[in-house]
Amino acid sequence: MATTVLIVDDHSAFRSRAKRMLEAEGFEVVGEAGDGASGVDAAQRLSPDVVLLDLQLPDITGFEVAEAIAARPPSPAVVITSTRESDDYDARARRSGACGFVSKAELSGAAIEELLP
Amino acid sequence: MTIVDTDLPERYRALLLAALDCVVTMDHRGSVVEWNPAAERTFGWSAAEAAGREMAELIVPPSLRERHRAGLARYLAGGEPVVLDRRVEITAMRRDGTEFPCELTITRSTQPGAPLFVGYLRDITERHTAEAELHASRARIVTAADDARRRLERDLHDGAQQHLVGLAMTLRLARRKLFDDPAFVAELLDEAIGDLSTATGELRELARGLHPAVLTEGGLQPALTSLAKRAGVPVAILAAPDERLEPTVEITAYFVVAEALTNVARYAEASSAEVRVQRVGGVLHVEVRDDGRGGAELGAGSGLRGLLDRVSAIGGTLFVESPEGVGTLLRAELPCGS
Ligand SMILES: Nc1ncnc2c1ncn2[C@@H]1O[C@H](COP(=O)(O)OP(=O)(O)O)[C@@H](O)[C@H]1O
Ligand SMILES: [Mg+2]
Repeated sequence: MATTVLIVDDHSAFRSRAKRMLEAEGFEVVGEAGDGASGVDAAQRLSPDVVLLDLQLPDITGFEVAEAIAARPPSPAVVITSTRESDDYDARARRSGACGFVSKAELSGAAIEELLP
Repeated sequence: MTIVDTDLPERYRALLLAALDCVVTMDHRGSVVEWNPAAERTFGWSAAEAAGREMAELIVPPSLRERHRAGLARYLAGGEPVVLDRRVEITAMRRDGTEFPCELTITRSTQPGAPLFVGYLRDITERHTAEAELHASRARIVTAADDARRRLERDLHDGAQQHLVGLAMTLRLARRKLFDDPAFVAELLDEAIGDLSTATGELRELARGLHPAVLTEGGLQPALTSLAKRAGVPVAILAAPDERLEPTVEITAYFVVAEALTNVARYAEASSAEVRVQRVGGVLHVEVRDDGRGGAELGAGSGLRGLLDRVSAIGGTLFVESPEGVGTLLRAELPCGS
């Protein structure tokens, strides 16, 4: 069965391109959200295998969203992504309950799969 | 006569009368014996009224009076002088009870017998206001620069960077589908070309907002022409200097016109605007006039406030005349060497 993904990002152009790329790599994108609150909500409602989560959201940061998702079952795997890059992000992402960080420049289905438990 | 002691030699009388600082003398009991015209003007008591009154009651705010009296008593009892012969800043009080910052020097006159104390006082309200305004303006300039950098980072992040990230994903997908699905790849490439040109356009706009290349390359005349072309209303350039000026003067003049024209488009409801930039001697006069609804106010928004800071920073002045219903004239005078 295909790995299901929820994409949380405020840029719709990014969401549509990420969706197309992931689907071409065999993922199934089951939902999209444009801000943190609806991301947390959709994660619970859709219980995807993976949440691809942008760091800069209009309401709260991706780290906070990851914590909120981790705190509520079914707590899917979370991969944080951003155009900004920092050596620190992977550690911080893991501390917030996510399974890792991948920069948007290097984003691919394979990169996500590598981070999954 | 405003000098209390009429026996003073003529030369000293002239000194006291003409002094811009308040010169007041008090005896060892703390009573006024001399009160020059500057003191009359500053404190509101005439010399005749002041003579013989306790100095503390006339010019020391009630909250500080006890300290003043205690200091005098301590000194007379043989204590070390604390305020003699050095400059101190204190709060003084006018006749109407209002208080103001004051710079003060007290010296003891050395005639034999009981001591006399001569005080020189200067109202430094204006200096304080000017210093406070200078600090505030520096802080605003720094904040404005920080805000601009933050905005730039966000614009880059939300704009060009997103398009380039999307472009990279599209190209990676195209690479993967190259042989399976050439028609789809052609579609992806078209989209990539579109993303690329959007990103390029956004970068060009950002670069122009940072610093207009046309100004660096060609000076005010072409730069103003390009501003006029992009303004929301018809703009006539009635004068613009042919010669090159100092870069800081050019960029300041440019930002004055740019902000003025932005405001015209945004608020004025004008049918047209006129720009006049002229060098007269060592001053560059910058004027932008519109025939809109008027009512512009310096300080009501961050735009004109920021301009004022920028113009002040190079020693210039900025004026707004904006009667309701008549239109707005924004005028800057910028020193530009000779
Ligand atoms: N040319 C104009 N005509 C009419 N109103 C103006 C004009 N320029 C400025 N104003 C008014 O003066 C205020 C202050 O302008 P400005 O300091 O540039 O503010 P902002 O940063 O909001 O643009 C504006 O909010 C607007 O109401
Ligand atoms: Mg403005």
